[in-house]
Amino acid sequence: MSETPETNRAIKPGRGNPVTRLLGSLVFALTVVLLLALACIAGTLVPQGTQVESYLAQPGGHPVLGVLSALGLTRMFYSWWFIGLLFALAASLMVCTGRRYRAISRVTGAARLRVVGSFITHVSLLLVLAGGMVRVIWGQKGVIQFHEGQAVNSVESNEGAMPLSFSIRLVKFELEFHEKPETSAAPMEKLMVEWAEKNLLVQFPVDLNVEHSVAAADSGASSAFKVTVLRHLADFSVDSETGEVRARSEAPHNPALQIRIVGSGVTNTQWVFARFPDFGGEPGSGAAMPLRFRYYSAPAEESGNRGTIKSFKSMIEVIENGSVAATRTIEVNASFSWRGYTFYQTSYNPDDLTWSALQVVRDPGVPIVYAGFVLMMAGLTMVFCVGPWLAGQGRTAGEVP
Amino acid sequence: MKMMVNLTMLFNTGLAAYFCAMVCAVTGLMSRRIIFDRIANGLIIVGVSVQSVYLGMRWVDAGRAPFSNMFESLVLFGWTVSVVYLLLRLRTRIPWLAAASAALSALALAHASTYESDIRPLMPALQSNWLSFHVMTCFLGYGAFAISAVAAAGYLISSRRASTVQTETRQTLETIVAQTISFGFLFLTLGILTGAVWANSAWGTYWSWDPKETWSLITWLIYAAFLHFNFIRGWRGRRASWISIIGFVSVLFTYYGVNFLLAGLHSYAKQ
Repeated sequence: MSETPETNRAIKPGRGNPVTRLLGSLVFALTVVLLLALACIAGTLVPQGTQVESYLAQPGGHPVLGVLSALGLTRMFYSWWFIGLLFALAASLMVCTGRRYRAISRVTGAARLRVVGSFITHVSLLLVLAGGMVRVIWGQKGVIQFHEGQAVNSVESNEGAMPLSFSIRLVKFELEFHEKPETSAAPMEKLMVEWAEKNLLVQFPVDLNVEHSVAAADSGASSAFKVTVLRHLADFSVDSETGEVRARSEAPHNPALQIRIVGSGVTNTQWVFARFPDFGGEPGSGAAMPLRFRYYSAPAEESGNRGTIKSFKSMIEVIENGSVAATRTIEVNASFSWRGYTFYQTSYNPDDLTWSALQVVRDPGVPIVYAGFVLMMAGLTMVFCVGPWLAGQGRTAGEVP
Repeated sequence: MKMMVNLTMLFNTGLAAYFCAMVCAVTGLMSRRIIFDRIANGLIIVGVSVQSVYLGMRWVDAGRAPFSNMFESLVLFGWTVSVVYLLLRLRTRIPWLAAASAALSALALAHASTYESDIRPLMPALQSNWLSFHVMTCFLGYGAFAISAVAAAGYLISSRRASTVQTETRQTLETIVAQTISFGFLFLTLGILTGAVWANSAWGTYWSWDPKETWSLITWLIYAAFLHFNFIRGWRGRRASWISIIGFVSVLFTYYGVNFLLAGLHSYAKQ
């Protein structure tokens, strides 16, 4: 996969001035790449951003973070020296691109296609860097925060309020949830019965007055038990005056089951509590009861139909010259552009579902960056796919690659 | 429930196929009988086919690309490693590479089985058609880099025992290292670019120096350096092999380390 000697000769540095020779050397380019890679590693390991700075602003801020901040390591990717490295990379790319351009006419056949691909790839990297620079110089970024019915005509940004030539009104905010799977949508309630000496564990649905049999494989009918749920209370309580058991409410604060156990010569009735599994688990008659009971009842919020968040969306109106110029719904992955500004759904308040926050971006560098992306893939495809394929075809046809 | 049972059966069949392929390939290496190599390759084809059905069924069942969490991405990684190996196998034959790729795929699936395999609904940011393009291209790159690192390790080991390993085999390994890195670089670049376009459509910024993005760039820079050394300086052999291995360490950190050690936009991936 290495380049042919013809290609290598063609793109080797010529006799330019010393600065051009330095910028165009492989050693310089790879040194810059290495420094960028090391800076990137440091940038992911050292805490970044305004949170670090606000932490440092507090009395007794961490001394090590203070040193790192002074060195520009806590805003690494925006520090003068990191941007300087990007400029050095751009300078190196420019010289290398020029060299590849000149080399195109010096090679033929498949090798020429590879040099063209390499040239296009280097141009694409310059375009991406140029697009990034356009964003930094001419781009705008801010946030709109508003309630339903409210209209705003400016954007909050780090540089202060950014006026818009139109207004945006939040008509409605909607939060949608995924439905929970059917299996868990129904209330999860079951009675579990353990017969330790028979190494048996069975479970039954909580159906009132339905008799369930509990029998081990080696047990005869004489040692089997019949278990029946007699009562089900969502919120068990005992009336302090009458001693009567009753439901305090319909909310599942203290779910309990009254069960009857018949078998092995005993008949027992007892309460089993979901929240207090060890309370009331033993039969009150004092008879030798080998069974233990557990009542499992899922809390209401677990068994409800509301699942994880599916989407959050803002229905907005654009108001220009006093009338509605456009109506759109903005959600994550579905932005909306108007007069060079693009609006992205970014946040909401779970405690106030009439509030929404939109990120507003104006980035004239995006078309340049995207052009760079397209050219990068075209260039790499020529270098790695089309060039080698043509070279292979040439070899098949007896051509010298 | 029935679908889950079928999915589990397919998952286990794929894992068993890769494991048996590894055993067969190792047996072939020890006994020097080509039949075992053929069986191993057949089993890898079975593993890839079964996994393809598994991924397809999971895609249909979930109603989205099955690439959204650690379990699903490990399954995809196992699949891409073997796919890249099979593509390479069309051009060249190195028996121990079959053992290594089958072992990597089996390891990925075995590790995936330690994570929750339930199909969960996607969070809003992941509900995009870009998900499948972005993850698939990145993982095809990761699979190629994995094979490259294995071939590089093989070269480094074989170059210490020059008398017993044929020069032709070492040259083949050098070629595999360079070819798989070229293939992987193309797909990693496509993965990074599709991720950038997706991020711009979802959040209004194509690059935000998120740890995953930054480590992808570090990995990209390492392999870009490899390609320049390889193309312009003609670096092959031991030096190229070491860069390939360093690159794959960076891939592993990008894929795995970032998810668990560094918080960022891709934090959902550790679930």
